[in-house]
Amino acid sequence: MAGLKHFLLRVLTTLLLLAVPVLGVWTFVKAEEWGLWFPPIVSSYGAGIDNLFYVILWMVTVTFVGTELLLVWFVFRYSKRDPTRAVYTHGNHTLELVWTAIPALLMIFVAFSQMEAWSDVKLNFPEEGPYTVEKPLMEVYASQFDWRVRYPDAQGNFQGADVIEVPYDITVPADTKVVFRLKSRDVLHSFFVPVFRLKQDAVPGMEIPVWFEATQPGDYDLICAELCGWGHYKMAGRIHVLPKDEFDTWLAAKRAALYATE
Amino acid sequence: MSTHAPAAPHAARPLGIDPPGTVHTTHEHHELGFVRKYIFSTDHKVIGLQFLFTGLVMLLFGGLMAMAIRWQLAYPWTEMPVLGRLLFPETGGVTTPEGYTMLFTMHGTLMIFFVIIPLLTGTFGNYLIPLMIGAPDMAFPRLNMLGYWFWWPGIACILISFGAEGGGPAAGWTSYPPLSTIEAAAPGSNWGQNWWLLSLTFVGVSSMMGAVNYVTTIVKMRAPGMTFFRLPLSIWGLLIAALLQLFALPVLTAASFMQLFDRVFDAGFFTPTGVVINGTSPETLGNAAGGHPLLWQHLFWFYSHPAVYILVVPAMGFVSDILAVHARKPIFGYKPMAYSMAGIAGLGFIVWGHHMFMSGMNPSVGLVFMTATLMIALPSAVKVFNWLGTLWGARIQLTSAMLFALSFVSMFIIGGLSGIWMASTPVDIYIHDTYIIVAHFHYVVFAGSVMAIFGAIYHWFPKMFGRAMNETLGKIHFVGTFVFLNGVFYMMHQLGLAGLMRRTADPYAYETYAHLQPVNEFISLCAFALLFWQVFFVLNFFGSMVWGKRVGRNPWNAASLEWEAPSPPGHGNFDRQLAVHHGPYEYGVPDAPRDFVPQTQRLPT
Amino acid sequence: MIERCHRSAALLAAAALSSLACRFEPKVPELRYSLNRPAVDKNPDLAGDLGAQAQLEGALELMFGTPAGPRYLAAAEWLEGGFDPNYWGEDHVKADEAGWSALVASNRAAYRQQLAAIRAGEFDALDRPRFADDLWARWQALRADIPAGGPDAEYLTTADGQKVTWREEALFRFENYYPTLANSASFYSNQCYHCHGAEGGGNGSTSSFLEPRPRDYRKGVFKFTALKGKARPRHEDLFRVLTEGIYTTAMPSFRRFTDAQLHGLVDYVRLLAIRGETEGLLVSFYAPEEGLNFDNVRENYDLVVERWREASEFFITYAGEVPEPTSERIAHGRALFTTAGEKGGANCVSCHGPDGRGGGVSAWEPGKEGKEYAKDEWGNQIQPRDLTRGVFRFGRRPIDLFRRIYAGINGTPMPEHFGMTISENGAQRTLNESDLWDLVFFVRTLSTHSAVASHDGGHEREAK
Repeated sequence: MAGLKHFLLRVLTTLLLLAVPVLGVWTFVKAEEWGLWFPPIVSSYGAGIDNLFYVILWMVTVTFVGTELLLVWFVFRYSKRDPTRAVYTHGNHTLELVWTAIPALLMIFVAFSQMEAWSDVKLNFPEEGPYTVEKPLMEVYASQFDWRVRYPDAQGNFQGADVIEVPYDITVPADTKVVFRLKSRDVLHSFFVPVFRLKQDAVPGMEIPVWFEATQPGDYDLICAELCGWGHYKMAGRIHVLPKDEFDTWLAAKRAALYATE
Repeated sequence: MSTHAPAAPHAARPLGIDPPGTVHTTHEHHELGFVRKYIFSTDHKVIGLQFLFTGLVMLLFGGLMAMAIRWQLAYPWTEMPVLGRLLFPETGGVTTPEGYTMLFTMHGTLMIFFVIIPLLTGTFGNYLIPLMIGAPDMAFPRLNMLGYWFWWPGIACILISFGAEGGGPAAGWTSYPPLSTIEAAAPGSNWGQNWWLLSLTFVGVSSMMGAVNYVTTIVKMRAPGMTFFRLPLSIWGLLIAALLQLFALPVLTAASFMQLFDRVFDAGFFTPTGVVINGTSPETLGNAAGGHPLLWQHLFWFYSHPAVYILVVPAMGFVSDILAVHARKPIFGYKPMAYSMAGIAGLGFIVWGHHMFMSGMNPSVGLVFMTATLMIALPSAVKVFNWLGTLWGARIQLTSAMLFALSFVSMFIIGGLSGIWMASTPVDIYIHDTYIIVAHFHYVVFAGSVMAIFGAIYHWFPKMFGRAMNETLGKIHFVGTFVFLNGVFYMMHQLGLAGLMRRTADPYAYETYAHLQPVNEFISLCAFALLFWQVFFVLNFFGSMVWGKRVGRNPWNAASLEWEAPSPPGHGNFDRQLAVHHGPYEYGVPDAPRDFVPQTQRLPT
Repeated sequence: MIERCHRSAALLAAAALSSLACRFEPKVPELRYSLNRPAVDKNPDLAGDLGAQAQLEGALELMFGTPAGPRYLAAAEWLEGGFDPNYWGEDHVKADEAGWSALVASNRAAYRQQLAAIRAGEFDALDRPRFADDLWARWQALRADIPAGGPDAEYLTTADGQKVTWREEALFRFENYYPTLANSASFYSNQCYHCHGAEGGGNGSTSSFLEPRPRDYRKGVFKFTALKGKARPRHEDLFRVLTEGIYTTAMPSFRRFTDAQLHGLVDYVRLLAIRGETEGLLVSFYAPEEGLNFDNVRENYDLVVERWREASEFFITYAGEVPEPTSERIAHGRALFTTAGEKGGANCVSCHGPDGRGGGVSAWEPGKEGKEYAKDEWGNQIQPRDLTRGVFRFGRRPIDLFRRIYAGINGTPMPEHFGMTISENGAQRTLNESDLWDLVFFVRTLSTHSAVASHDGGHEREAK
């Protein structure tokens, strides 16, 4: 009776621990089907970021499944009632070296493989093209609890009576390297566009240049990703990516509408 | 049984207390009244238990707040049963937006500063250090008592902050300015935030007193023969956590005072020029500006990243001890285990910037922090492999304590591996502040540290109360907790991949998140069940104190010193002369009469 | 024995847990509109008479329902005349071809997944849309009636002989969804309630921390309209506030929701305002000798509804192009702006100050603690706009500024300027449209030339 109880306990423990890698991997496999996976990529650098994620995902999955299965096997195998004593060992120097060196090499590989993508997004701003850090397309203002975009007037000034200010809707051209300045009026906010794989905090007192190149016309969510107060959840925006020529028409129409009288 | 160590010379009493190895065999001069014995006690064991009980009550508070958060995420803006009318009477039990921000702020604050740190270092640090190193008490018993009682003003302040005008602090447990420093920015940034900062200061002072005590005790009061490399890994973990606190806490205390000065005296450390918040501009009110919000983030994370390791390093130590005892096998690679804990702690001081990849900090610096952060994977991997090495060829006893320790290893693998994504700057651009982060730190802190605390309670309960906890109830408690905690936290990874932001009261109005409600509902139901399941723990914990099976000194046949003392140990702990001959993990020793050799006995040659 | 105790405790706990799990039924608490307390307390006859208060509450509930089922009192003669206040919003939107097609487009976007599911015949894959209880109820009713022949069987034949299938009808319902007042009330309780309160009193739980304070609808006074004569706002005015937000206040833009939802919200806000205004009249004119009776209730209700119905007659139109901002015009505008009233100018300087930064002498009045800003209709201190910051809450287009100066701002000391008497070159005359344009152009130069702080902070003046 006691033996049966012990066996059941062993099996239960083993199954519980086994469920971790099995269900863990299964949910990741099914995640896409359940709509719990990355949204589509709509920026030029999005694929690079996702690929790095997948590189690490493979590494992590192999380690995860390997270590968890070892744990499961050890727990099942060595929880058997056994009157003999355990293996008497205090460790193995070579093994320690091996399992320090392998992660070290992997981590150095990970670190170096990330640097280029990071520089692409955050450091290497376009130097040519219609929009540069000195001459950005727009300024995006975050404030409690609104996103506002400001397009310069026809002379390129961001101050003055003829600038265009739009709440919520941020319209940008497709297939163009867009640079904008990110500012905050009050507290910290964060400019997060999931489909662009782009996130940058807006800090009061700082003007942070940000760039992206949208590859697909469409409407996408802009979400505030830094706690900005009680209305944080409602601080939404929308990115409208228009084909290049449509964008020019749109901007011209917007400038003209400034002087409409209806 | 014990070998005869030379009696310590009573003349040398450098710290005004008994020197190492002193044994109290008489108790007549310690007859104390109830108050001095159980309330204002200087006995490390009583103080440890005081931390334990208070910490468990705070765990319940923090857990209930988590339930309120989960309700809102599963069924936004609906009437919350039971808790709703208590928390939000003015809306008939529906969460208010500012109430939601307050809830997750306080959940984080309570869990970190009032549950995990006190339970790990306060409870087990106090209880285990003298017992495991063979000392009669802490180096500074009165300071130790003061440490516990300085915690109470902290608790009082945090409770008062709930009732402050505008409600409790609501700027997140990280309290980023200007949201936290400018009163107009959030309802919770009125007096609630001041109380929060004061509370943190008191808790910090309390931890500091503890840390000074732990380090001194471990360095100066080890029993004869107890060298550093004969210390149990729990003590290594506690020592390293104490050192982390000693070096990091002053920074947090200074930063809290800077924020307090900003708020009360308008010092403007963190207030930039030209902000207009909710119709108020600090300069026009005559307040200083020209500060920088990122300064706070640097100072805060310089403390709080090491603090994250304070939350887990002692737990690693406890788990190592529990594994060795219940696997009946020496720990695999004792020195690498100790070194890796030190390595994690050391690296912990140079990686704070990984919390700030998206903050507007110079992106080039991010690359340095990324590399340093990834290096933490090395000591973490060493620890996991050594735990697996310990289990290989073991004779595993599936006790409740062991089950919790095994689950710690299993869960720490998840929490550790997901950290690699966060450390990688480009990947972090997408996952920063999403639910994958929430999953990551809950896997480390809940599935890791809290499970280790449960394991440690099951393991050392017999020493604390002289009675064992009920194993059947313990196993029921384990199974439910393990299942539901994974139900709660695992799917958060996928929510994070879908882009779901943390701290969002009502995500479903976004097109990106509209389809995530069923997953959140599943998570919330698991969370309610998880909290409910702790009934088994409460029943077992209090029931076993009264009805538990009486046990002797060493119910687990463990080799370390605390099991040499009576259960529960009397004042002064040991009733025998102690001399330590070897490390604490001599299990399965060939040629020994039993399968373990206590530290006080010589190994067979 | 102890073992058995533990076991039964475990069983009990498991049973309790499962019964708890079955009873999870999230619900929105039932709320009622409450009376406007401060207003009631002002009328001594009513303040002490709990019976009269209950009677008043009942009368209001008869007229306007509850937050769960809001409605207007529809008088019989109105229905005969083809006017039903409960369908006010829908009529309005339908009347406008462009508005209606925008509504359909926005609904299509909002229900894209649902529409795709209906088209594919996967009726079980439909998600319950948030804030559209009515739509969901109608869909389920339709779903229940779909005959055995499947969704492509005929649902009805229109007058011109076109056959409509069940599937087409379902698509039609989703695309043409327009919320009922009850739907909008639940939407309101999610998105607006925290600041504006259940009755629209601007007294929600978050309101006391906001500066400026959320609007109290119950006076029927809304600051930002395109109307003259302090008229009640039109549907378009409220809709504009919802979509644009009010910059530099806590009122965000609600463009994230569909046009239909926002139109519905406007309808509901209007209901709250009419309810509040009616309540205000009943409360302030309550006299114990007369009491509440059908006639005076009906009379006041008609009065308020009429005010709202006639709003669009007050729309400020300007025929023609915005004139060219010549330097003469700007100079003239400056002269009007900076000349005080007693000297015959437009007197803007008295509040907005000589530099346009909002620090004029009339901006303040004596208060409890020395000088305070002048108060608005709701008793809150308000600051004259700092015109150099280029932040204009009703919009920064020339026509917006034109309308603002033309009509003033309701509920504040900013007066209606059109037709104001000025004296120029020794002759008395009234301000005309051309003068208003000159003022607009001058105001616009203020924001062009000022050194606006890099992040739009500007420097607001100290109150004391």
